[in-house]
Amino acid sequence: MEYLGLSLALFGAALAAALAGIGSAIGIGIAGGAAAGVMTEDPNKFGSCLILQALPGTQGIYGLLIAFFVLNKLGLLGGAGAVALNWNQGLQILASCLPIAVVGWYSAIWQGKTSAASIQMISKKPEAMGKAIILPAMVETYAVLALLTSILMLMGVQVG
Amino acid sequence: MSYVYTVARLRGMENHILDTAFFSRLMDSSGIDDALKALGETSYSQWITGPGNFDKAIDSEMLATCTELESFVPDKELLDIFRLPYDFHNVKVLLKGLFKVRGGELEGRRYDLLSKLGTIDTEELTNAIETEEYGFLPYGMTDLIPQCWQLWDATKNAQAVELLIDHAMFAAMLKVAEGLKMPDITRWVKSRIDAENLKSAIRLARMKYDPAKALPFFHEGGTIRPDDMARLMNEPQETWGRLLSHTDIGAALGALQDSGDIKTSLSDVSKSLDDYLLKVLEGAKYSMDAPANVLLYLLTKEAETRNMRVALVCVAGGLDREFGRRLLSNGRQ
Repeated sequence: MEYLGLSLALFGAALAAALAGIGSAIGIGIAGGAAAGVMTEDPNKFGSCLILQALPGTQGIYGLLIAFFVLNKLGLLGGAGAVALNWNQGLQILASCLPIAVVGWYSAIWQGKTSAASIQMISKKPEAMGKAIILPAMVETYAVLALLTSILMLMGVQVG
Repeated sequence: MSYVYTVARLRGMENHILDTAFFSRLMDSSGIDDALKALGETSYSQWITGPGNFDKAIDSEMLATCTELESFVPDKELLDIFRLPYDFHNVKVLLKGLFKVRGGELEGRRYDLLSKLGTIDTEELTNAIETEEYGFLPYGMTDLIPQCWQLWDATKNAQAVELLIDHAMFAAMLKVAEGLKMPDITRWVKSRIDAENLKSAIRLARMKYDPAKALPFFHEGGTIRPDDMARLMNEPQETWGRLLSHTDIGAALGALQDSGDIKTSLSDVSKSLDDYLLKVLEGAKYSMDAPANVLLYLLTKEAETRNMRVALVCVAGGLDREFGRRLLSNGRQ
């Protein structure tokens, strides 16, 4: 039971990085499929397609950020050694990681779908690029809110 | 390949579909040479070698489209639904030719009327029908063709044989659509059956055909039952739209309501039914991965080739341009 707190906290960090990363990979894959389809007909749209394809990638970065935040809080970065955690503190850190893990995973997939639709839109109306970016960016709002929630919760957890 | 890729690629291809404004300009050409010059910047230019071969060029364009789609559409059956009527058209052409040959007309075969757009290679189909080796033929043709021969031997009625082939074609289309398990596609096939039945009902009414004997002319499988369709013939044509207002197809019958003359309304109704069939699938335009987009693209392309044929025939034959404009389908706006 000595390391249960630390294990729970690390499990939370792993979930944040893994689930948000998986979501981003799927989202980018969906948008990439649409980008490839459009570019088969018009390779000049590479620049616009790349921007829209990259949008679902941010959730993976948010997940990684939270994982770093947790590792730093646990003292695992910098070589100073891990701080002592009871199971209750570990569980609190795990709970703090869940918003970005779950919302990041799911929102990245939906953002990928919206990006794919936007890529199809610019295929027919290249002049609407601004609007095409705003639509998937709306999905991003909720990933940012989840990131903020995870950060605020982590800041509230007392360790050491 | 996924439908996200497929639909995105189709969106790119849609940019090359010629719009109604282009066809209107084409109609204004002073002659066929002028019209062919206007086609110089379109994808048709690669097939056109002279003023006399535009019919073949239009077929080549459609065939090239089907071949291209085949390379990236995940479900080949979606293309089959579009191409299958051309197979049945070829069966009709070949059988009618053989009927004539058996009747003593040695030059009865019309291979020039065969379409390469079908799923079965025309040479293989010709060989199969002429050598009576139907074993490998798909879509129920193995049983259908002997039935056609039996009917021909018994009645010598080519129209009855055509009707039998059409019944089999719609049954095959519905079977393929249901096998795909895509509700939009099944709905479209059912709507197409309704549209064909309505066209038949209008033609029969025009011929003052007895509604009680009209049932065999209607195909099974649509959303409107054949006996309801036959009953419709007892009513004045201007009321058909109202009587079918509970169905989606009712709104497409505006041309019947507007026109008191059943003879002039047939082409208008036929055009509005073609437009209706495009509208059935239009919901797919708002989806980034709906498979129905494949069929919608093919139908839009087919409408384009139809418009091209109308425009070039009008220009080449010096026909009335206003009448030609009325025949143009609303493919791409």
